[in-house]
Amino acid sequence: MGSPIESWDAAEAYFTFADSPALLGLFLIVAIGIVVGVIAATYLHENKSFNDL
Amino acid sequence: MEAELATDLAALKEAVEMTTAINLEVFYWWCTSVMVLIHAGFLGYEMGASRMKHTLVAGVKNILAFAFVIPTFFFFGWWIYLAMYNGLVPDFAAGAAGRPWDLAMGPNLADNATGVFWAAFVLFAATTASIMSGAVIERIRVSSFIILAVILGSGLWILAASWGWHPDGWMTRKLGYHDVGCAGVIHIISGFFALGVLINLGPRVGKFAADGTPVTIRPHNLPMVLIGLMLIIVGFFGFLAGCAIYGGSGQWVNIYNQPMTLSAYAFNTLMGLSGGIIGCYFMTRDPFWMMSGALCGIISVAAGLDVYYPPIAFALGFVGGMIAPLAGRYLEKLGIDDAVGAVPVHGVCGVWGIVACGIFASGYPNMAEGAAAVNLVGQVVSAVLLVGMGLIPGYVISFIMKSMGVLRVPEAAEVRGLDHVEVKWPAYPESSVHGAQTDVDAGDTAPATS
Repeated sequence: MGSPIESWDAAEAYFTFADSPALLGLFLIVAIGIVVGVIAATYLHENKSFNDL
Repeated sequence: MEAELATDLAALKEAVEMTTAINLEVFYWWCTSVMVLIHAGFLGYEMGASRMKHTLVAGVKNILAFAFVIPTFFFFGWWIYLAMYNGLVPDFAAGAAGRPWDLAMGPNLADNATGVFWAAFVLFAATTASIMSGAVIERIRVSSFIILAVILGSGLWILAASWGWHPDGWMTRKLGYHDVGCAGVIHIISGFFALGVLINLGPRVGKFAADGTPVTIRPHNLPMVLIGLMLIIVGFFGFLAGCAIYGGSGQWVNIYNQPMTLSAYAFNTLMGLSGGIIGCYFMTRDPFWMMSGALCGIISVAAGLDVYYPPIAFALGFVGGMIAPLAGRYLEKLGIDDAVGAVPVHGVCGVWGIVACGIFASGYPNMAEGAAAVNLVGQVVSAVLLVGMGLIPGYVISFIMKSMGVLRVPEAAEVRGLDHVEVKWPAYPESSVHGAQTDVDAGDTAPATS
């Protein structure tokens, strides 16, 4: 499913979904979302920790 | 017969090219691996420099800086480097290969170079965040710190690198800026960014007496600090080797395409390092500063590593080792609490290194057509620019965070200990200081030191 190649002959960019810009964009957005989301979650965790004092 | 020879020759040529490409990968792979030791070192250094009750959060913060800089550098850091060398107007064509969806930005059998170069740059980037990390221990909020680390590690320093640590960077072309080992684009930027943050963050509780007299807050584990610093130094050998460009079929070149040898780096890194240790020892007799002196020495010679006569590197390192503790004391008098001396070691020695390169290495020609040769005025102007590039964003962004009330932990949390408040676990559950508790809720005791 993820392979962009059917043969290793003359293969170049062979990473998963290299032939599907839409899916690359989707996974990039997911990765960015994880980064932003965890920072936000860290902020909330800190607030809770400080409030629990 | 001739056709057979031609075929053999073509095969041989292909084999040499492949071997060269793989050698390049191997070289930067191991440079990057050695650079990871910088972060192992910063981790030990920072945890050791903290008081016992903040140890784990200091470590968590340091590790998260590393972890968050990596993906964000993938998202936009590499593009900044490739695209922004002209100043503030991007070259979109040049930056295309750094877009996170480009086919070079992933496994590609036609490209052995991008991944390992990107990795080396990521480790440089994470180093900038780690430099700031130690300065702000024991009182910064982790969430705000991560944002600052990303801005510094995946934004600011790499913009400076595109300007001054790039063969076509405008600082190199117009000013003759020379900084092969990143004294300016990493150390000045990080050190002065940290200073901007420290101004808004304020000192740790108890750092200054009511009359403003500085109080020494000693590391809870000085041996861990010393070992951490030594690991950083080991890592710097990977870092500096990663600053050289492997040509494969020709001589090494530096980032400006000027020919060089790794032997030059070997001479001058070691001579600078020793000068820094001796300079700091001479000034302070303090083991903490003595070991930091090694970094002072390396940073003081980093800009001209490729050209210095080794005794000059030793003297420059010695001077760097002497001025860093003086700068640290001066900052303390100003009410700045830099817990690990990041500003003097990285910022001040970085400035000294860039200016010293202008004094001692003036006249070396640049490679680009019409580019200025190395000169003192260019180095001084560049140093001032880099100080501003670090200090102003660090100050402004942290000021905004402070105004929003999200920069610093509440005083009660700081006094109680961040390990108790945030990770709910003591670093040393069986410590005699904490008692034999296994649960931090059993109550904290006084800090181990000071």
